This record gives sequence, C-alpha cells and structure tokens, in this order.
Amino acid sequence: MSKRIEKVAVIGSGIMGGGIAALCASAGIPTLLLDIVPFDLKDEEKDDPKARNRIVETGLQNTVKAKPAAFMDKKADPALVETGNLDDDFDRLKDCDLIVEVVVENLKIKQDLFSRIEKIMKPDTIIASNTSGLPLVNMAEGRSQQFKENFLITHFFNPVRYMKLLEVVPGVDTKQEIIDMISAWGEKILGKGIVIGKDTPNFIGNRIGVHSIAVLLNTIKDSGVTLEEVDAVMGPPMGRPRTGVFGLADLVGLDTLHHLLINSHELLPNDESRDVYSVPDWFQKMIDAGIFGNKTKQGFFKKELTPDWKKKKMKYDLETGEYVDAIKKPDLEILKTAKAAKTLADKVNLILYGDDKVCQYAWKVTAASFIYSANRIPEIADTVVDIDNAMKWGYNYETGPFEMWDMIGVKKAAEKMEADGMQVPENVKKMLDGGNESFYRIENGKKQYYDFASGSYKNIELSDNIIFLADLKADNKVIKENDSASLVDLGDGVFNLEFHTKMNALNFEIVEFLAESLEYVHQNGAGLVIGNQAGGMPGAWSAGADLLQMLTAAKEGQFEDIGKGAKTLQDSNQRIRYAPFPVVAAPYGMVLGGGCEICLAVDRLVAHTDLYMGLVEIGAGLLPGGGGHMMYWRKVIADIPTDVKVTDLSPYFIALLTNIGQAKTSTSAAEARRMGLLGPKDRIVFNKDYLIGEAKKEVLKMVDEGYVPPVKKNLPVMGREGKAMALANLFNMDKGGYVPPHMGYITKQIAGVLSGGDVLSGLEVPEEHMLKTERDAFVELWKTENSQKMAEHMLKNGKPLFM
Amino acid sequence: MRDAYIVSAVRTPGCRRKKGALAQTRPEQLISHVVKAAAEQIDLDKGAVDDFMLGCSFPEAEQGINIGRIAVQMAGFPDEVSGATINRFCSSGLESIAQSAMRVMAGWSEVTMAGGVESMSIVPMGGNLPRPEPEFVADYPEGYISMGMTAENVANRYEVTREQQDEFAYHSHMKASEAQKNGLFTEIVPTPAVRYIVDDKEGTVTKEEFVQDFDDGVRPTTTLEGLAKLRPVFSATGSVTAGNSSQTTDGAAASVIMSEDAVKKYGVKPLAKLKYYTTVGCKSDEMGVGPAVAVPKLLNMAGLQASDIGLWELNEAFASQCIYSARVIGIGDKKYWACDSPDKIINIHGGAIALGHPLGCTGSKLAATLIANMQRLGVKYGVESMCIGGGMGAAALFELCD
Repeated sequence: MSKRIEKVAVIGSGIMGGGIAALCASAGIPTLLLDIVPFDLKDEEKDDPKARNRIVETGLQNTVKAKPAAFMDKKADPALVETGNLDDDFDRLKDCDLIVEVVVENLKIKQDLFSRIEKIMKPDTIIASNTSGLPLVNMAEGRSQQFKENFLITHFFNPVRYMKLLEVVPGVDTKQEIIDMISAWGEKILGKGIVIGKDTPNFIGNRIGVHSIAVLLNTIKDSGVTLEEVDAVMGPPMGRPRTGVFGLADLVGLDTLHHLLINSHELLPNDESRDVYSVPDWFQKMIDAGIFGNKTKQGFFKKELTPDWKKKKMKYDLETGEYVDAIKKPDLEILKTAKAAKTLADKVNLILYGDDKVCQYAWKVTAASFIYSANRIPEIADTVVDIDNAMKWGYNYETGPFEMWDMIGVKKAAEKMEADGMQVPENVKKMLDGGNESFYRIENGKKQYYDFASGSYKNIELSDNIIFLADLKADNKVIKENDSASLVDLGDGVFNLEFHTKMNALNFEIVEFLAESLEYVHQNGAGLVIGNQAGGMPGAWSAGADLLQMLTAAKEGQFEDIGKGAKTLQDSNQRIRYAPFPVVAAPYGMVLGGGCEICLAVDRLVAHTDLYMGLVEIGAGLLPGGGGHMMYWRKVIADIPTDVKVTDLSPYFIALLTNIGQAKTSTSAAEARRMGLLGPKDRIVFNKDYLIGEAKKEVLKMVDEGYVPPVKKNLPVMGREGKAMALANLFNMDKGGYVPPHMGYITKQIAGVLSGGDVLSGLEVPEEHMLKTERDAFVELWKTENSQKMAEHMLKNGKPLFM
Repeated sequence: MRDAYIVSAVRTPGCRRKKGALAQTRPEQLISHVVKAAAEQIDLDKGAVDDFMLGCSFPEAEQGINIGRIAVQMAGFPDEVSGATINRFCSSGLESIAQSAMRVMAGWSEVTMAGGVESMSIVPMGGNLPRPEPEFVADYPEGYISMGMTAENVANRYEVTREQQDEFAYHSHMKASEAQKNGLFTEIVPTPAVRYIVDDKEGTVTKEEFVQDFDDGVRPTTTLEGLAKLRPVFSATGSVTAGNSSQTTDGAAASVIMSEDAVKKYGVKPLAKLKYYTTVGCKSDEMGVGPAVAVPKLLNMAGLQASDIGLWELNEAFASQCIYSARVIGIGDKKYWACDSPDKIINIHGGAIALGHPLGCTGSKLAATLIANMQRLGVKYGVESMCIGGGMGAAALFELCD
C-alpha cells in the first residue's frame, strides 16, 4: 500500500493523549495535539489564543515533564507537536492521515466528536479511538459507511512509551487494509506489540487482568493469607511485576478498579464468572473512605514516617479497616526454594503445586485465571497467542496464562482443577482428549500454537523482521555454546553471539567464547551480530562486567592478574573492532560498563529506542578498564574533519569526562546519540523484537557494500592541558562538597586516561598508549582500599557507595 | 607630580549576560560607542587624545587583537591616537584609569582616555579555552579556584551568614530600583544595540537595531523571602546563591583624563581628581577580602580615615566579601548601606548584585557612577575598591573638583 501516515492528530491531551502524541513525535511524525477551549474563560480572554489553548498547552507541558519520560528526546521531539483547540483548529485535522481520539470516556461526547470529524475527513483519513471501555459499534452509530470503514480502536497502555501492548480492535465494517496498515505501522514505527481484539468489554488485556484482580479481591479476606504474602509470591517468583497484585492495584487506583468491577458486572451479564466482579463490602468501605491507592497516598499499603524519620510500610487491615505494620519480606519457605530454583518454570511448578497455604491460594487464583482465559476464546480473541501476548505486553507478565499452564503441564493442572472442583474449559478438555498436551510446541523449527477452532497446531506468524533466538535454538541452530554464551546461526552466513548470564553480565567465559566466535565467523561466515534476548522491562542487554572475579583477585593482592584481565577485555574489544568482517551489536535496555564498551567496539549499532547506556564504573569505585576511554574518545572524534584543531575538541573532552565521571546513563537511544555513545551511522529501532533481524540486515548490507575493517590510526588527545583543566574544575567541585573524596580521586584518574596522559596537547598517540594508561589506572584503583570497598558494596547492594 | 583630572566619565547600561539587551552586540561596538560619547560629551577634539587604555578581563576572541586599539579606530579617532588593553581581572577598568592618570601626572601626556569593557555573553568568564599550567594546578589548584568558592570561604572564615548576605543583596536591588525610578543614573549613555530574531515559521532571521538606556538586571520585586529560597550554587552546604552574588553582565565605560594645562586649554569642567591608587595581594582562595587590605593601605597612603570618605563604591562581587570588607574598613554598620538609611554611603545606587559586574568594565563603570554621585551630592572624597580574581584588592581615592 502506498498510503503513509505522515501526520497524526491526537485529540485529548491528558496522560494517554499526551503519551500517544509524545510517542508519535519521538518516532519522528509531526503530530497535532488538540484539546477543548477552557469553559471558564474570562471575557477578556475569549479572543486570546493563548488562553484558548490553555488546556492543551498544560497537557503538553505535563507530557514533557512526565516521569518516566514520555518523549525520547525532550529537547528535540516536543517541537514536532503542534497544539490547538477544538474550536479554532478543527479544520487542521484535514491534513492528518490518522486521527486518534483520546477524549473523556463519555459516549455522547465521542459521538459528537466523530460526527464533526466525519464532516471534514478525507476519504482515506483513518479514525481511531483509544477508548478502554466503550463499544466500537456504539461510537460509530449514525456515521457514514465511509467513516465506519476507516474507523477502529487503537488501545494503548499507560505509560504509552513503555508499555508494549497495542490492542487493535476493528468493527464489522472496518476495512481489512486499514487494520493491516495500522497494525504494521504500530509494530514497525511505534515499536508496539499488536494484538487484534474484538469489540467486547475491556478487550483482551484488561478483561483477563481485571478478572484476576477481581478473583483476588473476592477471595483474599477468608483465605488466611496476607496481602504481603500474596504480593511476594505472585510477583517476581511467578514472572510477574515486582509490585505484586495489591501493589499494582494501589498503582492503578482503587477507584479505577472499583469502576472497572461495576462496569464489568454490568456489561457482562452472561459471563460465567460474573459473580467475581461484585464489589466486596470491605472494598466498598475503602472506596467510601476515599482510600484510592497511591494517588491518595494510602491504599492496600501506605508508607508512614516514624518519629525518627524512617519510612515504615503499613497495610490496610481488611477486618478492622485500620492500618497496621506490614511485613516487608514475608518469611516463607516457598520464597527461598523458589529463589533457589533456576528457571521460571521450576519456580512456578514449586509454587502452584506447593502445599503451603500461600501456594494453595496462588494455585486457586491462578487456575481460575487459566480457566477464565481459555473460556474467552473465541469470545475476546481467536488464539491463545493473542491472550498471552496481551498479558505479557500490557501487564508485564513474563509469560501469559497459556504459556504458564504449559509450564506446569496442561494435563496435570487440569486434573488438579477437577480434583479441586473447578470446571476445566471444554476447549482445553477437547485438546487434551485429542492427545494434544500443550498449547505451544516447536515443529520443524517453527513455533506453533494450538488452535481451538480447527483443533490443530498452527504456525505463529511473525513479521519477517522478527527473529527469536529461542526458536532458532530449539531448531538446532546453535553452533556452539557454554554456560554463559551461545553462537546461533541466523542464516545467510550471519551468526549471533548471545550472552545468557545473570543480567547478561560479562565474564571471562564470555570473553573467551567471543574470541572463539570471532574465529568461527572468520572461517565460516559473513559477519556477526551480538544480540541478546531476555525479558524484563527494560531488561538488560548487558549490565556490565562481573565484579566478583576481580574483587577476589584484588583481595588476594593478585594485581598482576587484574592487569591481565583488563588486557583481555581490551584485546577482545580491539579484536571486534578490527575483525575482517562486520560486527553489529543490537543493544536494548541496560547497556552498562563492559556491555557499553562492547557497543563502542563494534562497527555499527542497531539499538532499541529504550536504551539505558553508559560507562558507570565509577559507581563501583572503578574506571572503564576494557578500553572504554579510548573507544569513547575515538567514537566521538571519528567524524570530525581532519583540519579541526585539538583545541576545538575541548567540549568533547569535557562532555566525555562528565559522562564517565558522573556515571551518566542515557534514558533513550536518542539521548545516547546526544551523548556520543551512538554515532551518526548507528540506527535506532522502535520494536525490540526487530533488533536481531535488523542487525542481521545491517551486516548483510555492509558485506554487500564491500566491507573492509577500519584502519587503525593514532588519535589526537587533549594531553596534559586537558587533565589540568579537569583538575582545576575538580578542585572547585571537591571544595563545594559535590564530589566525595575517593570519587574525586577516581575522576582525576579518568581525566588522566581520557586526555591521553602526560603528553603535549594535540599529540596523536597510538590506541595502545591510551589502553595501557587505562590499564595502569585500573590496577592502581583496585589497589586502593576505598575502591575495593566500593566494588564490594556494589556487588552486595547493587547501588553505589558514595565515598 | 602634576594632578590628573577626570573631565568626563560615562558608561553603557549594564545588561544581563545572554538574556539581556546587549547580549548580541559585539564588545567592540559597546566600547567604541562609549569612548566616542565620553569625548563628544565635552566637545573634545579627538586628535588631542594621546593614548587610550582599556581594561578587559578576558582579552581574547572578540575581545582580543588589542581591543583597546580597535576601539579608538572604530570610534573615529585619528590614526595617531594609540590604544592598549590592560588586564587585572576585576580591577582592569580602574587600572586603566590609574595608568592613564599616571601618564598625565608624570607629564608624559596632556590628555588620555581610559575605559573598560566586557561582554560576558560573548566571551565567557574563564575564557573560551581555559588552560591551567599542568604542574602548577596539581600543586596549587587554589590558583585557579572558582570565584564563588572564594566567596564561600570568606563567608565561612569570617562568619558572614546567609541572612546577612541576602539582606545585603535585597538592599542593593532596592537602592538600584529607587535610583532608576528617580533617573539618577546620569552617567549612562544610551547605547545602540542589535539582536537577531529567528522566526521558525517564516524561516527568516532579522537583525533588529535598538537603543538601550537602562540597566536591565535590577529586580524591584525581589523579596527577602524569595532570596532565602535560592539554593547555594558553589557549595552543596554553602550560603552563596545566584541572588547574593553579582550578576554576570555586558557593558563598557570610558573616561577622559587631563592635566591642569589641558583643562584650561580646552575649557572643560574638571569633575574629580584621581588622588591615589593601590593594589595588594591576598590568598587566592579568599580573594574577596581584597578591599579589606587594599582600602586601609590606600587611606594610610593618603593620610585619611575611613570617616573622611563621603561615598564608597565597593564592588559587590559577592555579598559575603562586600559585607566583610566593609566591616574591616570600619563601615560595616547596616546604616551605611541600607536602602532607607539617611546615612548610607556605600553603593548608594546599588551595586553589582543589582546592576551587574561586567568584569573588566567594572572599574571604569564604578568610577563613572562614583564621580556622578560625588558631583551631584558635593562629596569631597570618594573611594572605589574591589576584590580581584587570583587573590588581590585594588582601591582608588577620588577628590571632587568644585
């Protein structure tokens, strides 16, 4: 199709509307944001355009200030958002290819708005509603056939930039090409995961999500299990968000939840679980008392200050309606055994089949959700895949209900359900009766799902750009592997090096494996992708180098080994850089320390837009030791014309010193580009699932263009004059109390390495000289007691010790 | 030695760095305008000037290439009039007056001019390319200490509280806005300026020319409460804020100095004599105490007491150092500087906290203000003094010509 979305309009500038506008603008699409003219304008304001746009301007400002950030580049992106009001600027909607309505959830207001849009729309204008509850069929009532053909629901989740789910809900009249186009656009340009929903209440994510919260609300009081226990067990141990269930309820807002319960009860008269949508008395009491969760600073939990100014967690006692002390970490045996278990499947099996009271409760509510989910096919979705995806992308579950059911054995669980007097859904029974014992399977290297409608397994259809390493591994595409890393064949002569340590941290096993992989590709391939795939939001592409090995060596006084270790890392990064074939890394999420260094070594980056990248070693009492200083400097000065004098490089030096000295981490790929961590040729991709596919394309493109490795050149450095400038500034920061003493000392070392050491400003020095300076400084730091203390603290607490 | 008479002393308005009216006007334009104005105000034949000395704290980039010479050329002085640039940081503009006066006193010149200029918008404080000497900075970083840090040191070492600093700052603004309201800044010459207006919608850039005739950093609405809310900017636990520090400012000032013979020859009215000038060093990391050592030295030289001085211009680099210096000089009582005090003698029209401190210009700027006030009020002796980066103080004694 040739139709492009060149301009978007978003009507309504609240949290969702602002969020959608910010995402579109961040993706580079000019966006018109409209909202109403304030009702309470004074007479003298009635002709004042500023006053008339007050609501939309405030909305935009709030979006710019939103935390977590709604815009990816707060400096540049907001300029793509034009603002206006629905009275004076309505005609400007004519120029927009897509109009997204995000106004108040009131049918009449939406209908009136659509009737106005209908009058000015072009034949190919697409109109979308972001409603989370109103039926499409009602919203489209009275509209022309043309309108209905171009109309659909695009249901984003909050916060828009970070939540991957986009539910696309067509009406009966919506043209297929419009559905396809918006789906493809949402996936590729906005980076969303698309699920096609149906025009049923709460669509997919919220239907299943609200149900599972409703089940908890209706059973918790007499369960004999505490709120903290539920949250602890049904959080990370089950691959669910850290907030747990009640913590999530506080976040969403109990009033919102209350509204959802009542709405669901009303809109779902034939639902077999309608009773769970009733409001328990105790919950009604909370609502009546104005206890709405985080927004009112009290919900199921609240934080109180003790007389000695410490924060204390309190919980709402469902019996008495009073707040009592909460237990921060419930002391449960199951939490310990689950923690010790290796895989999520092991943990989930331990919990759901466990004997503890809390395990039995977790089983009861989880099984109810499994059953409810299966019964919703085909009512709300056609496939198990859509429901699983909705829960993963919209609720940050690590697995959806069907994937989890597979983990614990569909048959085994069904038997337990029956034994517990629960009704196993007919479609599942039928599946089991047919000898099919899982919702998913891998067949001929393709991941398949069980399709209830046809009673057979079908391939999961993915965009060509999406490559899942897990699928390839299941299809015997692993060339070699060890505990920490694998080399996977991506086809066409391109191989993927994947880390799979905790947080994908680097260790010497990976470094060794990397050398072997480079050698393998040298002999057998066209190029290498360094790409990882792991869950979590934002997840860690690589959170740095494993500190423990170094710390142990330092404690034993084996500093020579530390020097060798740093050299190994540096050599490895240099080998990547000068390999005779292209190496492309595909980072996302946390890319810190040693992980960041690898990204500075490769030929090109294909980065996900949510990128938290930086050289953060100072937080652990260290400085980059894998060549980070030299590679960062090399990268930022690479594209500067040769006749630029070294004096003109001062701002680069100061910026880099500040970034490394303050452990600055980007909050988006756009910001990483501003920081010089991404260069002009590095690409930013919005869809995380596209990363490896796009990186592979990039490798092939570079091969096709006739790749030769970069020529090694000496680098001009700031020299002693650069370091002196840094020392003068650090003196002030130190005296002002802005830098703790040891970190000030480390920053001086960073300045020394980054400036190329004690050489004349402007001298062009070999890369090896900077690497050696870095190694020496690295070893010297490890020799200090303070650095060892800081490293130990970081290992233990995951937080820097400021000293 | 002969006497040196100041017969004309004027200045441009002081305008805020980057945000102010003069931010996009080149420093050469500012100084050449004001040099010309100083001469034309007394109908001086430009060819009579022997030499022009210009103070500037960061004489590089736009302020480089000997801006003192460029200034007189741009102002239409004949080729014979030479020009020099002088740097003693914050006293540069006073140093230039002193050196020009000495030429007259020594009998080497009959008519000289002096001035000061600083566009802090265009040439940043510290210069475009700070390059401390690597070995010296490692041994003695105090040599390059930031000015704000020295103000913190003065506040800490000599017990000047946050409240005292804020109160002093408040009065500076009140005095300045009062003077503005009453049109008392008679030493200001309206100054042509430019600004470039970028219109994104039209895709155009327009150069707008206008005339600026007032100091744009004065905040008549400042309150003690507002000042108290500001965070310290140089030290996490400090007391020096943007509100009780001098403003960074663009500006230029110039004066004409003559021998007695020249005064008679050209028939001009002398305004004041420069009687004494002195400088003295102190510790780098508390450079703000400069006036506290320079002024006693000056008074001693002149055989005067602090009580003999009717008007003071103590540069308000920072409230902390200004308060401390006044205290040491013996004029620390609030009655000497409070806005509503009938006895006020220090910075009676406000100081750099309200009016700005355009570094190298300040010495000439304060001289113009001081001499205008001495004239208006008939005050016999006036002292101008300031602290100087690197750890120095400078002070000058002016005597009114009736």
